[in-house]
Amino acid sequence: MKNRIFLAIATVAVAALMASCAKVPQEALDAAKAALETAKTAQTDVYFPAEFAGLNDSLTVMLQNIETQKSKSAKDFKAIKVAADGIALKAAELSGNVEAKKAEVKAEAETLMAGAKTLLDEAKALLLKAPKGKEGKAVVEEMKNELTVLETSLTDTQVLFDGGSNYMEVVDKVKAATEGINGIIAELKAAMEKAGIKI
Amino acid sequence: MIPGPCPGDFFNFAPMKRGSLTSIIVYSIVAAVLIILGVVVFNALVPEPPLPEVEQARAAIVRARDLQSEVYSPKLFREAKNNYDSAMAIWQSENDRFILARDYERVISFAELAEKKAEDAQRNTISRSKSLKNTLESEIARLNREMASFEKIFLSMPLPQDVKKKHARGKLLIKEAGIDYKKERYVDGNVKITEANEYISGTYNLARKNLDDYFKHYTDWQEWATETINQSRKAGTYAILVEKIPAQLHLYYGGKKKYTFEAEFGSNWLGDKRSRGDMATPEGKYMVTKKLSGGSTKYHKALMINYPNKVDVQEFNERIRNGQLPVDASIGDLIEIHGDGGKGGNWTQGCVAIKNSDMDILFKYVSKGTPVTIIGSTLTLEEFFSSREK
Repeated sequence: MKNRIFLAIATVAVAALMASCAKVPQEALDAAKAALETAKTAQTDVYFPAEFAGLNDSLTVMLQNIETQKSKSAKDFKAIKVAADGIALKAAELSGNVEAKKAEVKAEAETLMAGAKTLLDEAKALLLKAPKGKEGKAVVEEMKNELTVLETSLTDTQVLFDGGSNYMEVVDKVKAATEGINGIIAELKAAMEKAGIKI
Repeated sequence: MIPGPCPGDFFNFAPMKRGSLTSIIVYSIVAAVLIILGVVVFNALVPEPPLPEVEQARAAIVRARDLQSEVYSPKLFREAKNNYDSAMAIWQSENDRFILARDYERVISFAELAEKKAEDAQRNTISRSKSLKNTLESEIARLNREMASFEKIFLSMPLPQDVKKKHARGKLLIKEAGIDYKKERYVDGNVKITEANEYISGTYNLARKNLDDYFKHYTDWQEWATETINQSRKAGTYAILVEKIPAQLHLYYGGKKKYTFEAEFGSNWLGDKRSRGDMATPEGKYMVTKKLSGGSTKYHKALMINYPNKVDVQEFNERIRNGQLPVDASIGDLIEIHGDGGKGGNWTQGCVAIKNSDMDILFKYVSKGTPVTIIGSTLTLEEFFSSREK
């Protein structure tokens, strides 16, 4: 009997000791951090900024919780392991989605660039037919200058596109150039219509 | 000697008597109570983890980040993050110490500082983004006005090609800044609008300076124009007055304006002719020296004038002496008023071109010796600007 009671006390003590010495799930934590790094390398921060920021927040909260558990006499890292696994999973999922999103934005950029080039050719063709009244030549010269700048901008955008670092930026730049070309085309068409020139 | 328990008897479990069983139970209860008490006391002595303070700091940083403090208040945001990182690092190092020896005061202090900095960053971000938004909005509007004004006033001016390209580049940057404004990227937008301002205002100021410098000759122009018209009135003859701004050729008879035709000049028309090949149309008082028609001119009909006159030669020589022109420069000649105009630009090599139909009229009235005065403008600079703004 005496033996059993001692055994029970010893078990409780050992259990308490074990609880206080529970280990941080380092492997899961490292995996979560590595998954986030991979996600960043895959440009998740560019294509899914809100989601990426959310994952970073989760990691920060998890690190706080680790320290909270380490601060206690009775530690429990089970929830942390679950959280770390969740972060790793979500980060991997996001990384996987980046390629699809990137391809989507890339396709949009490609379409916009092709459209801008077509518009540029249209504007150049219209310039040849532009009316040359009072100051007409000066206006045409100005438009030619603008088209040259817009063409240069599109060439720069092509370089940015070929680099593949940020298709979002490419989209914005092409949109600005397209707006400019459209403005010139509208001006030219209005002037030609006024002058009775067939477009 | 009184017999008693020997050391180690407590662990000598067998054989048990009734009395010793009671003792064991009592001992066990005492031990359990002691353990529980020990645990309670121990837990009471373990310092509370600084989670609330650290969590508040983190939440404040997240709020600041969501407001884009990284962009609008980078210094404060960085300080908030650094303080948070310090709090976490100290917390980790405290947790490595013996549990009862831990002290989280510094963790709390850094966490509170991080929270404060993050809140400062939020406030600063709100006011700065608002201010940047307003600046961007007003700058886009101002530069659009300036750009439109430039195009109204200076579009037909002979500005260097790179100036015109800079203007076009500025125009594109305004559009890009407009996209940033729509996407609430006020910092990026302001960077672009600042660059656009350099191009737009830079080209505007340069063009304005050129024009201001040009109009410094206004008194001379006024004097020449008055003399020419008076001469026509007194002699009851024809006289030609050519104005570069607006680009017109006036035919006077007896001091009264009889015809006005649209005129075109050399591509570098703003200013006096200085030498051969400068594409400038000369300014001064001249007269018709020869009338050309048929096969003797390729521009329908032409009126040759006596460029260079004495004043032109004097000024040319002066420029050579001053080093303003190379020693091998030549003054040029063969300046005419001719046909083939109406092209809508300034395309001649220094001559004055008018439409063939206008040339026919002019040719009919003008004879050898008819005065031809070429000036910048009869308008003052202010009158010119207000006419363009209209």
